Amino acid sequence: MTKKKRVVYSNRPWEATGICSGCRLCELWCSLSKNGSFNPRRSRVRIVELGTGIDVPVTCQQCQDPACQASCKFEALSYHEKLKIVVVDEEKCTGCRACVGACPYGIITMDPVTHKAIKCDLCNGEEPVCVSICPSNVLALVDDVEAGEVNRRRLATLLASDDQFQRYMPGGEEPIQKKLEKRG
Amino acid sequence: MAKKKNCYAGKILRVDLTNGSIITEEFGSRQTDLFVGGRGVASKVLYDEVPPEIKPFDPENRLIFSPGALHGTGAPSASRTTVSTRSPLTGMHGDGHAGATWGGELKRAGYDLLIIQGKAEKPVYLFIDDDRFELRDASRLWGSFTSRTHAELCRELKDHELCTVSIGPAGENMVRLAAVFHNGSDKGTSARCGLGAVMGSKNLKAIATRGTGDVGVADIPALKSAYQDYLDTIAVDPYCPPATRYGTCRFMMHRVKFGIHGAENWRYGEYDWHKLDPEVFRSDYQVKAGACVACPVRCRRDYRVTSGPFAGTTAKVEWETIARSMTCGIKDPESVIAWSNICNHYGLDIEGTGDTVAFAMECFEKGILTEKDTDGLDLRFGNVEAYLELTRKIALREGDLADVLAEGTKRAAEKIGQGSEKFAIHVKGGEMTAGDPRGMPVRAVSYATSTRGGDHLRSNPYIEEIMTPEEALEWWGSEEAADIAKGLKGKGRMLKFSEDLVTLGDILGLCKFAFYRSATFPYLYKKGVHIATRLYNACSGRDLSEQEMLKVGERTWNIEKAFNTRCGATRADDIIPERFFKEPLMGGGPSGGAVVERDKFDKILDEYYEARKFNPQTGLPTRAGLEGLGLDDIADDLEKRGKLGA
Repeated sequence: MTKKKRVVYSNRPWEATGICSGCRLCELWCSLSKNGSFNPRRSRVRIVELGTGIDVPVTCQQCQDPACQASCKFEALSYHEKLKIVVVDEEKCTGCRACVGACPYGIITMDPVTHKAIKCDLCNGEEPVCVSICPSNVLALVDDVEAGEVNRRRLATLLASDDQFQRYMPGGEEPIQKKLEKRG
Repeated sequence: MAKKKNCYAGKILRVDLTNGSIITEEFGSRQTDLFVGGRGVASKVLYDEVPPEIKPFDPENRLIFSPGALHGTGAPSASRTTVSTRSPLTGMHGDGHAGATWGGELKRAGYDLLIIQGKAEKPVYLFIDDDRFELRDASRLWGSFTSRTHAELCRELKDHELCTVSIGPAGENMVRLAAVFHNGSDKGTSARCGLGAVMGSKNLKAIATRGTGDVGVADIPALKSAYQDYLDTIAVDPYCPPATRYGTCRFMMHRVKFGIHGAENWRYGEYDWHKLDPEVFRSDYQVKAGACVACPVRCRRDYRVTSGPFAGTTAKVEWETIARSMTCGIKDPESVIAWSNICNHYGLDIEGTGDTVAFAMECFEKGILTEKDTDGLDLRFGNVEAYLELTRKIALREGDLADVLAEGTKRAAEKIGQGSEKFAIHVKGGEMTAGDPRGMPVRAVSYATSTRGGDHLRSNPYIEEIMTPEEALEWWGSEEAADIAKGLKGKGRMLKFSEDLVTLGDILGLCKFAFYRSATFPYLYKKGVHIATRLYNACSGRDLSEQEMLKVGERTWNIEKAFNTRCGATRADDIIPERFFKEPLMGGGPSGGAVVERDKFDKILDEYYEARKFNPQTGLPTRAGLEGLGLDDIADDLEKRGKLGA
């Protein structure tokens, strides 16, 4: 039996290049693989820019009990048994946007060209394009257990005090003060 | 919407601010056959539409926005947009390039080129929403910082993914050092040549753009294979890891190696740089290892000060920010970050402003300016408060001195007089950048021949450092060309090649750091010419050879040269400031005591003109050279004006 998988942002803030750089290659190449042309608004993974220096890739978390599917009145969203994810049937989709409002992650979106719902389909079980293109290696395809670990880490990051981060985050291996002494 | 077949959108948007008319024109083989896109097309349009009778601040001067040919696609580092105009700083060809998302958004909205002409009666901004466009009132935004302008536009147009270009207060005040900012203050700047001042002179505060269309690709498998080849190359090229680790700050080590800091207004080769070490920036101040759109190298850095008088300041800092701070005698990273923050918010070009402030500081040191002139500012080298305060005043033209300095180094020196022209460091009116050219003759010539005034990004003669004598013999016909300090023969040809090479980057929208810097010449050629050509052919569906691509670069260079010639430039303008010829580099170090030797300079320039087919006496383009590039009409035009070289 295949395990349920999802693409997550497995950021490692203690490594300077282990955070999303905001290069948006995932958006561009996702749209290329789906449509044969570049258009970030047609991408299934989206970079959200939260002011200077914070970029976060957001993509479908492949919910256990999908709100998007529940909201669809036209049976356009169906559960793919093999991949264990929701997929869109473009024929049935009317572009009513009910799912867009229902999704807790805001990541089922409207295609600005076809006006149908689009969402991550994990590249049909092959290695997702976003994961393979990411130059910072911050996107990962994980199963439930790994996703739990990533989420736990993210919560810990939120809970850690600012002070700890200021001291340890950018350089990483040792406190800054020591580093300066070493350099004279 | 029909599916796009290649990386071109196929339309030009022309906005006349005087009468508010906005029309679309066709963009096609007429532009792309000879000039491909980006800087190439922009330079051509500028030549065609701005004759020398039109002065930089005339309403009829054009402001041309031209995304690189590959911008908008996922080709690696294809993020650059060219903004061109007749520069108020040099009075000649002027352009600036930025790596940001706005150009791609313009293409997705359906336009390869945006031409702004005329002058609005009151402050306006342009909103492009796919095929709808309008000029909207911007009086509410007038006077606001670049960052706030972006945020306000996002709020007003209710779109947080909106892409904007805007000017800050400096541009509004027509400070000749003002720049055009992409997506607020820290996301990329088309900085040089006073572009912001031209935008301000047209009463255009910003351009907000939303594009939901596609950017097509002609041959996806070819694009993928070229992309993979690029990744494989940067994985083995030793140039890239430090760029990814430190960002552009890594160039400090290059300056240290050659002792060419040019500190305190281009006088000292050695400098107390240790606090400005890239490792200090990285470990103590870095908050973000970022990237321009589509770039796998990722050398954009945001830094934050957490303590001291500038606590809480965040800014994007590039190598040039640090270099220009050193020109003003600044020695600590916190002041550099604070200064970058001020320049970016007020909308100033960091390079030009840094040099201009340094010039004022030397005037102060020599007693030409006194505290009476500076409104009590103690303009000693290294005085952080004065440095920040004067920068702010320049942006607002506050006080008589700042008003004079806001005209740029050249004009300021003419107004201040008293011999200050001797240490006004500029080429053709554009302030000089990067490292000191003393001890490196071809570097000196490259500043002189640059078509937009003193600039290090106009050419790439640093390839002399990475070439072996054998390669130099093969490429430039002389082993000497690989010798940095002593070599002469072959350097002119090398300079010509390197100029064509980086021009190609601007045309395609590829980054010079990601594509045109390498640790060895074979890597450089592979990335900069071979892979770049493959990427372009894959995205456009054309079939250009590598030689043809380099020829596009050469053609673009020639049209810019012809523009400058038409504006009156001759060989006498291809010169660097007197200081570099006469005053030995002070402070010791590897290049200590060096000067640029005039006879070497002239010999390299002679060889360069010969390689470019310019007339060696007058420096004017010749008919043979222009016609060889298919620029017959340019040759005719120059002949009519009596500017064609014999």
